[in-house]
Amino acid sequence: MGHRDRRLGRRMVLPLILLLLAVQGYPMAFAVYISAHDYRLTALSEVRWVGLEQYRGLLDNPSYWTAMKNTLVFVFGAVSLELLLGFLVAYLLWRPVPAQNLFRAILLTPMFVTPIAVGLMFRFLLNNQLGIIPVWLRSLGLEIDWFGPDLALFSLILIDVWQWTPLMVLLLLAGLEALPVEPFEAARVDGASELQIIRHLTIPLIRPVMLAAILIRMLDAFRVFEYVYAITRGGPGERTETILFHIYRVGFLYFRLGEAAAMAITLALVIFVLVVLLFRSLRRQEALT
Amino acid sequence: MFRRIAGFVMALGMLASWLLGCRPAAPSPVTLTIIMEQVPDTDVIRKLLPDFEKENPGIKVVIDAMPYDAMRDKILASFMAPRATYDVIIVDNPWMDEFVAGNFLEPLDDRIRGIPDYDFEDFVKPVRDIGVVGGKIYGIPFYNYALGLIVRQDLFDDPAYRDAYQKKYGKPLAPPTTLEDYVRIAQFFKEQSGGKIYGAAMQPQRGYKVFEEWKNWLYAAGGNLLDDQGKVILDRPEAVRALELYIEMYKTAAPPNSLNWGFDEALRSMAAGEAATMMSYNWMLPTLNNPQGPAGNLAGKFALYEVPGGKAVLGAWHWAIPRNAPNKDASWRFISWVTSKRVEKQRVILGGAPVRVSAMKDPEVWQKGFGQSYYETVLKILEDAEPLARGPKAEEIIQVVGTELNAAVAGEKTAEQALKDAAAQVRRILGQ
Repeated sequence: MGHRDRRLGRRMVLPLILLLLAVQGYPMAFAVYISAHDYRLTALSEVRWVGLEQYRGLLDNPSYWTAMKNTLVFVFGAVSLELLLGFLVAYLLWRPVPAQNLFRAILLTPMFVTPIAVGLMFRFLLNNQLGIIPVWLRSLGLEIDWFGPDLALFSLILIDVWQWTPLMVLLLLAGLEALPVEPFEAARVDGASELQIIRHLTIPLIRPVMLAAILIRMLDAFRVFEYVYAITRGGPGERTETILFHIYRVGFLYFRLGEAAAMAITLALVIFVLVVLLFRSLRRQEALT
Repeated sequence: MFRRIAGFVMALGMLASWLLGCRPAAPSPVTLTIIMEQVPDTDVIRKLLPDFEKENPGIKVVIDAMPYDAMRDKILASFMAPRATYDVIIVDNPWMDEFVAGNFLEPLDDRIRGIPDYDFEDFVKPVRDIGVVGGKIYGIPFYNYALGLIVRQDLFDDPAYRDAYQKKYGKPLAPPTTLEDYVRIAQFFKEQSGGKIYGAAMQPQRGYKVFEEWKNWLYAAGGNLLDDQGKVILDRPEAVRALELYIEMYKTAAPPNSLNWGFDEALRSMAAGEAATMMSYNWMLPTLNNPQGPAGNLAGKFALYEVPGGKAVLGAWHWAIPRNAPNKDASWRFISWVTSKRVEKQRVILGGAPVRVSAMKDPEVWQKGFGQSYYETVLKILEDAEPLARGPKAEEIIQVVGTELNAAVAGEKTAEQALKDAAAQVRRILGQ
């Protein structure tokens, strides 16, 4: 490639870079800017520089830590359940099944429903007065308070699992189907049991796909908002107050945008660290194999 | 070249004269956009609009109705814009001081003085006071949502219940006037009906709801959020007692697993005949007693009383004009029309929640509306009522206290601890 070509190439991506700067760079820079200012929408004439004060304020803000903890529990609970179920289902579908395309299409439908609708749906399905699920459970003699203090966060995790396991299935199935057949045939010839094959062949081979799937789901799960908004509003107490809902509360109900921006930036840092750790382990795996 | 420039200048001149000329020629009709909540009281306003537009041919009114949760953001966005999206807004009572502190609302004193027979003093005092901040009037009362005690009168009149209660407690069964009586009566209904009828459909939902219900209990126990000097007194023994009784009621007399219940759930429970009492907005009574309403066969069996202790939590919506509204005169024309004595009477007859004393004392309203005793009870409720919280931080205080109360009802904290934590947070918010 000649010198002129490269220059032309750079000039041609310039509009895209400018666009990205305008629609992503500016809001991010502005968020950093207001996180260092006492920026309240109801007192815009009193905006002043406060440096890191708002970040320090988060340290002894119990609601922030509760929300962070709830979010981490939600993310780890939801993603690990989804991985487990998703792998099981993908493994079962990884063979010729009659009407397999129809099967897969039906299995994927929850993904296509918008999350706020899923939230509202489960709010009514699990409602003690109106819901069909408590009615069925009662006919079995079970009385479960899905949104009580003990189960509320777990119920939200289950809803996330219902909606997003299909994505896991989709990704893992694609990974499984791309695997070479020879190692499996060789293992069978050598008399390996099904479980041994899964443990020593299948899982190590699709580990990179698994990690990518975990990453995608994790980034998404951190942004959980709709279920909380539609069902529990963070209650009972603060049992389901997730970080994004808390940011929304501080920013758009109390109008303290500066403090909300500081929280959002710490959340971005937490996610960044987790992503780096995941990538590291992905690299290490590749180096080993 | 010169000809070209001359032609250009001439064209410019013609354009300018055309622009200038067309401006004063036809005063286009003003369109007022009003942000409102999707509630029955908005439907009442919709029914009145044709009259307003007939009396004011130059003004068209468009109502932008939406769910409560969407309103605060939209109103604020409208305040921020160089030119307001909304010509008239309605303000929920916790937002009033905050919006005034942000310098977003237009003072209305002069405009009120401009209408001789307006009679601002006719609005019930506690409701009217919400719209007055720092001695100036910023909001005109639209409708009230003060709390009352709604009971199943047929159960209280049932001889079987009456006799059993008399035998057990040595006094007649009557709607409660103290907290202890309220808890006892609620427990009595649950026991006596064998668990078929719960004593009270409660609303311990986190945030606004639980605070709104419990603060009536706090008043009855002699407590409050702040004292007269504005100091936080939420952790005093009266408050602890009120919360302990409230939790006892929830555990022993409310429907099971109702920790997340808000307004809808409690109403459904009451309408289904599952509960004997509930604390709710006073105007839920006509809804429950409406044969076409949610209660079906039970319609007509409900009655409204003051909450135990007599002092109630007051909620109210106010009309206001944003400072950046483009047609303030037209905005005021609408507000002064809809809140005038004459239209208030029509509005209340159509089922709107009253705010003017004259409407509540009007025999024509009694007759065409829901009867004399209803309006008299509502007036009594409104005269002794106080909002949940005031000041520019009211919304946050309500959320914070409501979270702690809900945690205490959920059993995560003791009543004392929850109130201590709540008081500490309110002190921090207020900078005490």
